[in-house]
Amino acid sequence: MPVQQSIRFILDDQVVELDFQQSGQYTPVTTVLNYLRSLPGHKGVKEGCGQGDCGACTVVLAEPDGRGGLSYKAVNSCLIFLPMIHGKQLITVENINEEDKDHHPVLHPVQLALVQHDGTQCGYCTPGMVASMFALYKNHRNPAKEVVEDALSGNLCRCTGYRSIVDAALDACKVKDNDHFSRNKEQVIEKLDALYRNTETIVIQTGNHTYLKPFTMTEALKLRRENPDALMITGATDVALLKTKKHLHLPKILDLSGLDELKLILEDHHRIVIGAGTTMEEIREYCISRLPALAGILHVFGSLQIRNMATMGGNLMSASPIGDTLPLLIALHAKVRLLGNNKQRDLPVEDFITGYRQTDIHADELPALILIPKPKKNVIIRSYKLSKRTDLDISTVSACFRMVLTKENKVREIDIVYGGMADRPKRAAAAELVLKDELWSRALVERAANQLEKAFQPLSDARAAADTRMIMARNLLLKFWLETGRDDLNEKKETD
Amino acid sequence: MKNGHDISHHDSALLHVTGRSVYINDMQVSEQLLYGRVFYSTQAHARIKSFNLEKAKKLNGVAAVLSAKDIPGENQVGPVIRDEVCLADGKVECYGQAVFLVAAVDDETAYQACRLIEIEYEPLPAVTDIETAMGKRALLLPERKIETGDVDRAFTVAGNTVEGVLKTGAQEHWYLETQTSLCIPGEGNEMKVFASTQHPSETQAVVAEVLGVRRHEVTVEMKRMGGAFGGKETQGNHIAAWAALLARATGCPVKIHLFRDDDQIITGKRHPFLSKYKAAYTSEGKITALDVELNADGGCANDLSMPIMERAMFHTDNAYYIPNLRVVGKILKTNHPSNTAFRGFGGPQGMAVIETVIDRIARQLKKDAAEIRKLNFYGAKSDNVTHYGQVVENNRLELLFNKLLERSDYRKLKRETEAFNRENEFLKKGLALTPVKFGISFTTSFLNQAGALVNIYQDGTVLISHGGTEMGQGLHTKMVEVASSLLGISKEFIRISATDTSKVPNTSATAASSGSDLNGMAVADAIGKIIRRLSEFLSEKYADKIHGSKKPFVFKDDFVTHPDLSGFKLAFPELIREAYLNQISLSATGFYKTPDIYFDREKGKGKPFHYYAFGMSVSQVLIDTLTGSHKILKTFILHDVGNSINPRIDKGQVEGGFIQGVGWCTTEEIKWDDDGRLLTFSPDTYKIPGVKDIPEEFHVELLENVPNPGTIKNSKAVGEPPFMHAFSVWLAIKDAVSAVGEHRFEPDFQIPATNEMILQSVEKIRKLQKGKRNL
Repeated sequence: MPVQQSIRFILDDQVVELDFQQSGQYTPVTTVLNYLRSLPGHKGVKEGCGQGDCGACTVVLAEPDGRGGLSYKAVNSCLIFLPMIHGKQLITVENINEEDKDHHPVLHPVQLALVQHDGTQCGYCTPGMVASMFALYKNHRNPAKEVVEDALSGNLCRCTGYRSIVDAALDACKVKDNDHFSRNKEQVIEKLDALYRNTETIVIQTGNHTYLKPFTMTEALKLRRENPDALMITGATDVALLKTKKHLHLPKILDLSGLDELKLILEDHHRIVIGAGTTMEEIREYCISRLPALAGILHVFGSLQIRNMATMGGNLMSASPIGDTLPLLIALHAKVRLLGNNKQRDLPVEDFITGYRQTDIHADELPALILIPKPKKNVIIRSYKLSKRTDLDISTVSACFRMVLTKENKVREIDIVYGGMADRPKRAAAAELVLKDELWSRALVERAANQLEKAFQPLSDARAAADTRMIMARNLLLKFWLETGRDDLNEKKETD
Repeated sequence: MKNGHDISHHDSALLHVTGRSVYINDMQVSEQLLYGRVFYSTQAHARIKSFNLEKAKKLNGVAAVLSAKDIPGENQVGPVIRDEVCLADGKVECYGQAVFLVAAVDDETAYQACRLIEIEYEPLPAVTDIETAMGKRALLLPERKIETGDVDRAFTVAGNTVEGVLKTGAQEHWYLETQTSLCIPGEGNEMKVFASTQHPSETQAVVAEVLGVRRHEVTVEMKRMGGAFGGKETQGNHIAAWAALLARATGCPVKIHLFRDDDQIITGKRHPFLSKYKAAYTSEGKITALDVELNADGGCANDLSMPIMERAMFHTDNAYYIPNLRVVGKILKTNHPSNTAFRGFGGPQGMAVIETVIDRIARQLKKDAAEIRKLNFYGAKSDNVTHYGQVVENNRLELLFNKLLERSDYRKLKRETEAFNRENEFLKKGLALTPVKFGISFTTSFLNQAGALVNIYQDGTVLISHGGTEMGQGLHTKMVEVASSLLGISKEFIRISATDTSKVPNTSATAASSGSDLNGMAVADAIGKIIRRLSEFLSEKYADKIHGSKKPFVFKDDFVTHPDLSGFKLAFPELIREAYLNQISLSATGFYKTPDIYFDREKGKGKPFHYYAFGMSVSQVLIDTLTGSHKILKTFILHDVGNSINPRIDKGQVEGGFIQGVGWCTTEEIKWDDDGRLLTFSPDTYKIPGVKDIPEEFHVELLENVPNPGTIKNSKAVGEPPFMHAFSVWLAIKDAVSAVGEHRFEPDFQIPATNEMILQSVEKIRKLQKGKRNL
């Protein structure tokens, strides 16, 4: 089977071909940030934290959107391995302005607005801000303030206090999009399409690194079977930290981000089907009207930069006790479809996660789909995430509640799942038992909450003390009652 | 805003937005560049029993591995008191203390070399919290006291008292650019140092000392920092010293750029304080006496702890006249990294105490805290002497109070807040108004000096060097404005060079909000000299035409004119060219020292400040008592910067300083474990404010028509004072928590008010309430 041994992408309007064996300087786990900063013309891209928490390294990735245009996504270049940008256009702060005939910069509307609104002080966060604002500009005209804030929530600034930056973004996005990216769109699409036509697996071998990136499911399954020791990635927003923070050697990687089969969201009468390679941002947008509880959780999942890379499959495979989507997947009785060679299994997410960052995946299987039963109209779902900072933070405690009430206001079905309270996202079975078939009242909720202390022995750590976590868990149950025990209830019963 | 169109934007804004500003880590260096790395202690307190560097040295690509014995000069980096070693020698005193240095061909090799270093510790008892240090009376320096009136007597006759303990937390600077230095060895002993430092002269001194060379052999250059906030006042010296040692040992350029987590672990933070207070007050709420003991966690060495404590003591009054006041300051030694300067420099810690006292008095008297504040403000004519004997002149408190009440529609907000709280059990709103009075000057009086060098070249362009450093605050932008107005030429002809110890020597740190005040005057002094020379030259040249007129030549709009010389109009570049041909010196140094400030530390009396900056703010917040989360609904800030040199820059400082203060007061929590290890060592657990954490409604206004006498262009310093406007948010959150118990119980409250602290405080009030109901 023929393979590709180099990667190709567009940078500075040129198709760059990077042959790792020849270059010597880079490995397949070199981050895009470190690659850019090794070039003389891209030192504008900054490392502020090297772990996706500050956005100073933000760049924009463009790729054909399948509708004849290009999609522009802001991402953290510090969390992306070089082969992940194969087939994309990489845009940095240096590419955003144009130049006049004397090589003086002609500012892009987002840059001009930042200057005019005094949105820069020390300037170190600015290149990342410009990149995020540029992606916003390409995706939204006259966005609401909330949309602007959401686009910038992954970019920390320590100097300005943000007001000037938000004003600049609001202003810039009023301008009609006629920038040089729009004008050169056709050429870029043409170049990228040419790169896409080659679906031969990318196989990079340098020194002590092997990086495998298949583009078909058949090939992926074969590679998985042949390389059970390879670390699977899609968005790598979690795995990349092993490299940037912990300096671990990652000898073999199987990159599943090239599999279009895993990038899908489908829906039938019974369920919503999400491909394991679908990004959190795509899922969030889809779920706003169709599954608001999931959209709500994803709204505070990392930052837009993280959501543009992170996938549902990745969140599931990380199996973290504080994985944001996991309590909801468990509470909604979601299943994961695992594909092996000539076989498939559908496993409840609750059973799939077997311990602290442990799953029941077999050595030849790939996570393919997440199957979420479509809630009937009478199902009440609420999910919550508590963290020190609302945005771009990891949860201290999270919870998802799923409930069906009878016409008599009794609890017919109840699922209570917490994150951050045990070694894995965990069901509060004893509390569920207390609630079942009882009248949905505040007194009942208090009784059920008392069960939580028996069910959980949470940890004290940097985020909160154990007793605070317990207060949080109790309060969330009460909050759920508050939000469903009164007004909502009547609506639900009518549609019952 | 008047003349909004010709007020400059930040002079680097265009470079910033196009990614073309150069920071040290972006500099192009030769291929011989080596990457430095710091191996640091993983023990809070231990004897180093043994170590072995051989494996690390043998790793391919490693150029040097250094320990304390490889330091050619003195193993010392203490800036004021010489109690801080450059590299640990025989023992370590905190987790994160530098022990060894590695230089290698790339970052990853340097990291792997660190892993090969073998070290064996013998743990020693460690003090890892301030209470233990207090119990052991482990003082870094003798305690300090400032006292006025008769505090003890005032308490014996007091009608009401309030007493308690307030804890305020540490704060990580989180400059976006982590500590960075690049050192390039020259011929002989020469060392060229590029350092992200607020204090190039001190960096120069420290580097010279550890290298064992003289200061004229070390040059420090600093173009711009990616933020500093006090975190590069002394801490930048260390990184430069480490890079210089590696550069000297290898003969190659060496760069150290700390990884974020390492920066958080190694460098000092804002001092956590534990403050005990007792106040006496009348039934109206007038404070008659205040007795405060400030205990600061200094960490394992002094660094700047004493001046920080001193400023905290100077600000225990904040904006209030308290006739009998005693404040004692103690700096405790712990096994934490040595804590250091951070915007406000002790001021916030001192002010938090009196603001808590007032808040409690109001709750006890069931009055609006804003009214209690007003009642206690310094007077304009009387009741205007601070506890350290300085008269509060040009007091703007009443003006600010009245304007702010009107701007924020405070009374309506108050009614709305109370009504909301009556109707909601789990959501609560809170409201607070807080003032700021902040003393401007280094309290170590001799530091209040600055130098400048102004060069005019033959094409009429001007290059200014001054002792101040640019960290984003817009100092250079202001200096261009000062020069432009004095020389009467357009800003485009003026540039500010990198700060360079070979151009302007013996400078003070760019700190204490004093950058523009001091350097602006020094720049003005230098320009004044050149203008005098040019004027003399013109007077001589045109002597027969101006007939002995005493009127000065006018430098304006890029031309020179004279009122008695009609038709005379010389373009500035032409004047310069003529002056050059006539052998006039076109370069001058300038100097400034702040007049009439002094402080007697023995007596605790003096006039430590040139003047005070004032401001006031109102914030309204919403908290969810079930989740502990908060949202700032509205903030109104009114701030006094005198006659602003640049309102755009100043407004940016007010907004940014305020939000940084909000971070300290809310989400930024530094936690150490019992072993002295920093738990919140990374941005995944240490949370500075993000874009959604700013007030939903955010109004910032600069007070207009308030010239400040005796300063550059009648302006005021602006860097630090706005930080403390965050108290309005902090106390609004407290007000909301207090509303849970209908203001009948004093909430447990400290800084930061994290969601965890809010939840715990609410929980306690609910229990107290239940207890009361059950009685």
